[in-house]
Amino acid sequence: MSDSDTSQISRRDFMRLAGAAATTVAASAMTAVAAPEAKAAPAATAPNWESKFSVCDMCFNRCGLIARVEKGVITKLDPNPKFTKSRGMLCARGNAGVAQVYDPDRLKTPMLRVGKRGEGKWKSISWDEALELAASKMKDIAAKHTRCGMLFSAGADMQSGFVNRFAEVFGSFNVTSHESLCLLSGNRAFVDTFGDVPLPDVRNSKYVILAGANRLEALVTPDSMDLVTIMKEGAKVVVLDPRYTKSAALASEWHAIRPGTDMAFMLALAHVIITEKLYDAKYIDERVSGLDKLAAHVAELTPAWAEEQTGIPAADIARIARELAAAAPASMVYPGRRTSDYENSTQIRRSFAIVNALLGNYDRPGGLVPARPAGLKKVPAEPPWYDDNPPGRVDAGSVPLLFDEEGSFVLTRDAVIKGAPYPIKGWFVYKTNPMATAPERQKTREMIDKLDFMMVVDITMSDTAWMADLVLPAPSAMERTDPVQALQSGAEGACLVWRDAVIPPLYESRPVFDILKALAGKLGLGEFFDFDIPAYRLKQLAAFPEAAEILKRDGVFYPPNPPLGGTDGQPFKTPSQKIELYCSRYEGMGLDPLPVYAPPKASPDAARKFRLVAGRSACVTQGSSTNNPLLSEFEPENTLWLNDEAAKELGVKQGDVVLVESPVGKGELKALVTPKIRKDTVYMLSGFGSISGGLSHTKGVGASIVELMETRFDSICGNSAIHETFLSVKKKGAA
Amino acid sequence: MKRSSIGVIAALILALAAASLAYAEGNARKGKFLYRQKCRTCHGTTASDLSPSSKTQADWKKTFAKWEGVKCVKEWKAVSEADRADIFAYLHDYAKDSPTPAKCN
Repeated sequence: MSDSDTSQISRRDFMRLAGAAATTVAASAMTAVAAPEAKAAPAATAPNWESKFSVCDMCFNRCGLIARVEKGVITKLDPNPKFTKSRGMLCARGNAGVAQVYDPDRLKTPMLRVGKRGEGKWKSISWDEALELAASKMKDIAAKHTRCGMLFSAGADMQSGFVNRFAEVFGSFNVTSHESLCLLSGNRAFVDTFGDVPLPDVRNSKYVILAGANRLEALVTPDSMDLVTIMKEGAKVVVLDPRYTKSAALASEWHAIRPGTDMAFMLALAHVIITEKLYDAKYIDERVSGLDKLAAHVAELTPAWAEEQTGIPAADIARIARELAAAAPASMVYPGRRTSDYENSTQIRRSFAIVNALLGNYDRPGGLVPARPAGLKKVPAEPPWYDDNPPGRVDAGSVPLLFDEEGSFVLTRDAVIKGAPYPIKGWFVYKTNPMATAPERQKTREMIDKLDFMMVVDITMSDTAWMADLVLPAPSAMERTDPVQALQSGAEGACLVWRDAVIPPLYESRPVFDILKALAGKLGLGEFFDFDIPAYRLKQLAAFPEAAEILKRDGVFYPPNPPLGGTDGQPFKTPSQKIELYCSRYEGMGLDPLPVYAPPKASPDAARKFRLVAGRSACVTQGSSTNNPLLSEFEPENTLWLNDEAAKELGVKQGDVVLVESPVGKGELKALVTPKIRKDTVYMLSGFGSISGGLSHTKGVGASIVELMETRFDSICGNSAIHETFLSVKKKGAA
Repeated sequence: MKRSSIGVIAALILALAAASLAYAEGNARKGKFLYRQKCRTCHGTTASDLSPSSKTQADWKKTFAKWEGVKCVKEWKAVSEADRADIFAYLHDYAKDSPTPAKCN
């Protein structure tokens, strides 16, 4: 199914021609407007709006923006040109941020559940009543079940750090974030290979392999924009994806890899690079350990072998390996962000890390660069110690290498359901939505049914909020004063941003910081929240006395950025102090020290022959944006991408409603019959098929991907594994 | 949790048994509390700013094996053996080359 050379060339030529045509149009438009400039230019008048800096909240990227405020109302959001991380861009979702602020679905007052859980019967209550109730429930749970009986989960938000701070001073070890449903496998693999999680310097790269990453739709700034720029400059981008994504469409070449076989591709690249000695021997000798063991490990893993696994022609694999090595060190296997795919995802991503190591691209322009110093100071607390607490997290020891600060949502959920090793009976959730993001929604409900008390702080009534006892309205990002956050931008280094409120909080909403501060006061922990956010920010910025003024002036502050190559001669943060092709830590723990390939498991049931894969469109940030009134015009419902030949065999036509079923759940949605996906794979967007009555655009619309996904997890780090489910598909009404 | 084979479970058990090699025996969480209580009063204010990720696991082992030689030995003498083991566990388990290095900014 890979594009032939001919089709690649013709597509690229077409793009070039289209680009040339666009340039011609632009040039003639400029000529047309040139004439009036000869006359006196009219005096510039001040716009009738105020411009206020803020930071986008439509996904995790935090792009700088300027809000236009007219008579107290935000009328438009524009990109902040001084915020270089986004290359002066604000995407479709960012533009739709206005609709988030004025969304009629927003929560307006504290709400107390009065019906059965999930039934949707609520009573509006006062803040005093709400906070008193929350504090007393937390006290009860701590008394009966220890302080670890409360679980805290916060999403990617500039105030989420306060939730973690609260959990720590309250005394609970049980904190989860969205990361164990997303990116931890990649982090695990790179920490265990390089000793840190480097960032791609796409801007200076000459050759990028995007394996599974759909970066031109699942936007990450600046990587998405930089990919387009470098392709214009002649860099090569190779996409491996079972779907013909927009990244595939724009890339230099696309290979419809068999899902779950990326490791075979990477090991074959390593085979070619090693056997043909395409690496920098001096670099490997000085900076890398385990080459001999890797060489032996991949000796038989030839491109011909990998062709059988991946479906990608051996000649292409060998050629890509040579091209990649020839462009090194300004070349990379893009590390990717969401890596929650398979039970062996850490090992799959280890194979990505290993190829990068062979390219000698660490801390080099166009390669993988270490996170740059941000200089932000921590504002420490000295939390009390509670002797009656259990020894560790509720999911501790369930996998060999859990990240202690993140844990594993799916393993924590299992522990809550079992009530072992100890009971968790309370859950504080801030702006994260496991009912829409964690596989097997039924299990998340089961977990919630075990709780005595659950509270959610959010902007709208998410599916998770819908299940809670108490729901508290948060202001949107445009209504908040937020602490400073450091953001990383490849080789360009760190930048610091904060938020000042663009407009006052709408309705009765209160920021989570105020909620936590009030709860801390009621629980005798007031001393740990004895500050306000402006004072907190000054402490964070202690190293940069000029930063506050610059942030007010520019909306962003750039700390000094040392040149690349600063880690040369320094030990890596691994046990051997080198980049570990052969992972000594894994050897000591009885794990495979080199990634051992196993073909992806076949479907256990002949009726379920389609592997479900997840992904994103540029207008969707999972469940947090699908209900946005503007974005829902672009993505009003999700569809099932179904290969045209497979559809024909099933008698399914374009737009037919199909029934999809996995061992754990069912769904109904329209089929998108297309040649742009492999015959063995289906795809749908997340964030649809909602259950919450507070989501007017997505409730019952399309199918819920988490209703279908089985619970699987990465056996090394506990990240969820969401490509391990097979679905049956049939036309609705068919026998 | 459905697991596909007994082999996987066996491998997991083996891995968990061996996991102790990467982690110390004391209570790292208690150690974090004790470190803040007993060490942070100087380190980070009047003495060097230390965090677990200031040293490698091997360096922490060396430091604690010969703690009588450290500059602030007077303060160390006031720390019980059990507390010292917990503080060691915290510093060692979150060392810069540990599986979960302490985050710094």
